[in-house]
Amino acid sequence: MQENQNIKEYDALVIGAGIAGGEAALNLANVGNKVLLVDKELTVGGKMILLSKVFPTLDCAACITTPKVSEIARHSGITTLTSTEASDIIQKDDGTFEALITTQPRYVVVEDCTGCQLCEEACPVNVEDQYQYGLVGRKAAFIPFSIASPRAAAIDIENCTLCGACERACPTHCIDFTQTVEKYTIKCKSVVVATGFQLFDPTLIPRYGFGRFKNVITSMQMERQLAPTRPFNTVLRPSDGKMPDNIAYVLCTGSRDKTVGTPICSQVCCMYSTKQAQLLMGALPMADITLYYLHIRAFGKGFNEFYAQAQSMGVEYVKGKVAKITEKEDGNLILRYEDINTGKVTETEHDMVVLSVGILPNEGITKLFTNRKLELDPFNYVSQSNPLESPAMTTIEGVFVAGVASAPMDIPDSILSAGAASSESANYIRHISKKTLEV
Amino acid sequence: MSEGNKKTVLIMKEKHQVPQDVKDELKFFVKTKKAILKALKEKRMTVPELSEELNMPKDKVLYFTMSLLKYGFVAVDEIDDMDEYFYYKIKDNG
Repeated sequence: MQENQNIKEYDALVIGAGIAGGEAALNLANVGNKVLLVDKELTVGGKMILLSKVFPTLDCAACITTPKVSEIARHSGITTLTSTEASDIIQKDDGTFEALITTQPRYVVVEDCTGCQLCEEACPVNVEDQYQYGLVGRKAAFIPFSIASPRAAAIDIENCTLCGACERACPTHCIDFTQTVEKYTIKCKSVVVATGFQLFDPTLIPRYGFGRFKNVITSMQMERQLAPTRPFNTVLRPSDGKMPDNIAYVLCTGSRDKTVGTPICSQVCCMYSTKQAQLLMGALPMADITLYYLHIRAFGKGFNEFYAQAQSMGVEYVKGKVAKITEKEDGNLILRYEDINTGKVTETEHDMVVLSVGILPNEGITKLFTNRKLELDPFNYVSQSNPLESPAMTTIEGVFVAGVASAPMDIPDSILSAGAASSESANYIRHISKKTLEV
Repeated sequence: MSEGNKKTVLIMKEKHQVPQDVKDELKFFVKTKKAILKALKEKRMTVPELSEELNMPKDKVLYFTMSLLKYGFVAVDEIDDMDEYFYYKIKDNG
């Protein structure tokens, strides 16, 4: 472990470099603030960068995210640290903060890596690719994905056989196995919490068979199958590589379900499932797509028209809660559900099932702060102390919340939320700077 | 980056031991890769055909074939007559 004794100073610390954190960092830097943006992942862009398209416009998600990510990387006011976490945040009497920043070793000198992928080619290892949600393999020396930022290799030391092939193949000699954990203490005037969300783990509903039945996949796995950087050559069943022609979606998997501890609506599942259904109609023109739902919540601008568009394309919407999924010998799946419109318990066969998994708050946010309490709401999202007048304000003065860290929301709302957080944070920084000058 | 002429991986080797399961996984992948490429060298095949040839579950065959497609060893050929399964073939440089 290396400890850096020089304390660096920033105006703002932004925790989480997804679309909300990235937007907040850009807004803060654009008005002259010095920003430190940290993310625990190897790349910035969060989950949005992994999506296929966005609803309801069907714009390419990567085409929206990539320019923003590139602007973050090039902005002179933003220092971005990946594989990095902030902790032990202390608020001092003057309202400023001190935080401990911990960077895990990447075993690659990012500045020297050209992204040539020769290390990847040389690496003999094959492990599940977490960025493709386990559908395909990746090397132990790897670039997370083609539009990753930084587009630099990393070594997965847990799965590395230490054969040295990557180091021999690297033309710029940027692979460095001597890297260790680095710790920095920084000072800042404001903190923006943009820690995003995690996806519901569908193994918590065993009756849906996820993990046991290969053709039951999550919506994020389908999202990857529909993206240009997809794991397979087209949309295929994971059990045998067959092109599916009868796909079912089970909405509200891990949302509005008290039995698994997630009583609230995830806000995005109805629309992302409708989006995927439309994209599947394009990718597999002969396929039948059926969505099993409780209520369709098409509440945003253009959402209802988007829902109507899917129906007019031939997507079938069945009002009914799926009780159980069973698997046939050929890998097809039987869905047992109550059809609300007829009141009958019905069984239908599909060759692939997508579970529209809900979103959950990331855990451990409160532990980041030591001498002040960051309060959570009853659903474990960061509590907004004054949601109407100051929507980004938290229970700690100077700490603001952006995006899904505060509540489930879609991408446009996350960007709006980041706008509010950066604006309030900039005001606080100005106020603190003025106070310091007066002293 | 080297410390003198010494490759840094040698320094890592002195303090970090590679777990046995990682070594076993590598052996299994190398063996499977050879078997898939050997089968595809004979003729193009679908995932169920490869599964029968290799005596390996179809989901595993798909996972490894798609990984080899990603690494540039395998290419996609036509879909079968029933429009169900794609044929995969060895890539020229594979």
